Amino acid sequence: MKHPMQVLVVEDNAGDARLLHEMFSNERPGSFKVTHLLRISDALAYLAKNVVDVVLLDLGLPDGHGLDTIRRARAVAPGVPVIVLTGLDDEALAAEAMKEGAQDYLIKGQIENRALPRALRHAIERNRMQSETDLIRVHQLQFKDEFLSHVSHELRSPLNAIYQFVSILMDKLAGDVNEEQQQYLAIAMRNVKQLQAMIGDLLEVTRVQAGQLTIEPERTSMAAAVAYAVNTLEGAATAKGITLAVDIESELALACADPTRIRQILIILIDNAIKFTPAGGSVTVQCRVFETDSNMLVLRVLDTGCGIKLEMMDRVFERLFQVPDDSLAGRKGLGLGLYICKELVTRQGGQIWAGAAPGQGAVLSVTLPIFSLPNLIAPIIKRMSGSQRTVTLIIVELGSETGWLSDEARSEHTQGVRDLMQQCLHSDRDVLLPKVSSAGAAELMFIVAVSDADGAESLSSRIRTQFKASEPARAAGLTLSSSHRPLAMARRSAVDMMDDSLNSIAGALEQQINHELSLRMVANG
Amino acid sequence: MANKRILIVDDDPDVRQAMNVRLKANGYDTFFASDALAALAEARKQVPDLIILDLGLPGGDGYVVMERIKRYPALSVIPIIVVSARDVQANRVRSIAAGANVYLRKPVDNAELLAIIRQSLGEPAEPDDAAMTGNWRLLA
Repeated sequence: MKHPMQVLVVEDNAGDARLLHEMFSNERPGSFKVTHLLRISDALAYLAKNVVDVVLLDLGLPDGHGLDTIRRARAVAPGVPVIVLTGLDDEALAAEAMKEGAQDYLIKGQIENRALPRALRHAIERNRMQSETDLIRVHQLQFKDEFLSHVSHELRSPLNAIYQFVSILMDKLAGDVNEEQQQYLAIAMRNVKQLQAMIGDLLEVTRVQAGQLTIEPERTSMAAAVAYAVNTLEGAATAKGITLAVDIESELALACADPTRIRQILIILIDNAIKFTPAGGSVTVQCRVFETDSNMLVLRVLDTGCGIKLEMMDRVFERLFQVPDDSLAGRKGLGLGLYICKELVTRQGGQIWAGAAPGQGAVLSVTLPIFSLPNLIAPIIKRMSGSQRTVTLIIVELGSETGWLSDEARSEHTQGVRDLMQQCLHSDRDVLLPKVSSAGAAELMFIVAVSDADGAESLSSRIRTQFKASEPARAAGLTLSSSHRPLAMARRSAVDMMDDSLNSIAGALEQQINHELSLRMVANG
Repeated sequence: MANKRILIVDDDPDVRQAMNVRLKANGYDTFFASDALAALAEARKQVPDLIILDLGLPGGDGYVVMERIKRYPALSVIPIIVVSARDVQANRVRSIAAGANVYLRKPVDNAELLAIIRQSLGEPAEPDDAAMTGNWRLLA
């Protein structure tokens, strides 16, 4: 090493420190530069600002004790190797410290001649090799994910072309198809769909692994999602002689979930149920308020199939899990469906578990939060703490030559506005909600943006320009309301033409938001 | 009444042809462009009732096309349906801000696409349309 090795000694015991100094002084001059500190707080401050090659750390300091000391040091300087100094009776603690990332330990008073520099050099070298291996591993994983993602993307286009043209033939858009041909096309189609699903699952798993699984929660009707999934899979059920039944509580509350993801979950669960249910059986999709938590909805997919063995009930959610005896399921899948389901459900604040259906068969249960303002605002609070971002509501009223909205019409929409506001408040992106009403005379639109004040201003001016260009016959009025800025300020910068009632809607909304925000802030301490 | 006219912009000839068959079978007239420049030229020449637009195009992407189209008052009112394989999170809001009416992720469900076309053109809905576009109507 050309430069002197920068050693930080953190030791409060004067005698121990003196012994170490003596050892260093026996070394060739210029080979070590030793900095000695007494407290962990000083050491952390020093590590944050200076280049250190290795740390010699006592675990019993005045302001830090035991494993906590090494954790703090590793947190500040994760790349710097640490050697722990312990007493003779503390070897067990030293071993624990190694699990926390210490490279080595030295027992005070037992450090042999020449052992110190060797230990330091070993620690540095081991640390360097470890970081290199870690880096290579990260790169390999990244490469694998990118490769899988790329391959799946590339496979989709040709497969989509096959899908489109097979469906064109099946729908007889290219002329008549006889019964036998229709049958073969249906087989082709079934396999195309299977392949599409598998590629979709592969892509999804690479997203999970890369932490890129996107969830966009909004106000979601479970009935609509179930109708979509049942509609999609009814053919498969009928073909297998299975009855597909739906049992949804009437007037069921809306879920705070990503509707696309809910469809995806439902399709995986129902498809699985159909797979494991013999002909003549039934699959039932049930949705209601969760019996043990009225803040949640519970979705159940029950089948009359072979059921899931008790010891398998947790394992079915593992990645690449396959049923050991799949004589019932026919062709094997990739073993990714329930794994993806679990990720999707957990990411939406719910839970998923498997159980036995009453009588015979399996039941997969999924809980999801009910749509409510607090449920929605929670993630925003988390994100906003410490950031300068604000939620901005822009209300646009488009007037025409025949006039603006009547007062009644506008107040009628107050509730709708609130609902919509709730629907988008959680989002970490701009949300546009055009056309809430189209009352002939005028139209009311809402745009919710999560951005800072400048962003909101530029967005509103962009909207104004857009409307002027696209609908010159109409006049647009805009109100800008931000949850963190005084409304009056926003109003001044907004365009005129807004009457009081529209402003009062914005004001009421803002109050509501601020109220909820402050409640949450208190709740979060 | 004359058929409604739809401009299909996609660089993949298979996608164009499949959409052509599908849309013609549903009573629409179609014409095509395979890159950004041709899309603008066709839009100006034909002034279609609706544009189905892919984002990944040679010679400037779908955003460039939308930006240009919105500059022409006669074209700026044409509803645009973006159909793309690109990531929804990053591109939906951007597409809508650029002037699209709706963002659909490839592969597109034909029933959903047709339902949205009917809705965008102000045509009467088919019985199953509501189920197909339920989610879409909330946001766009």
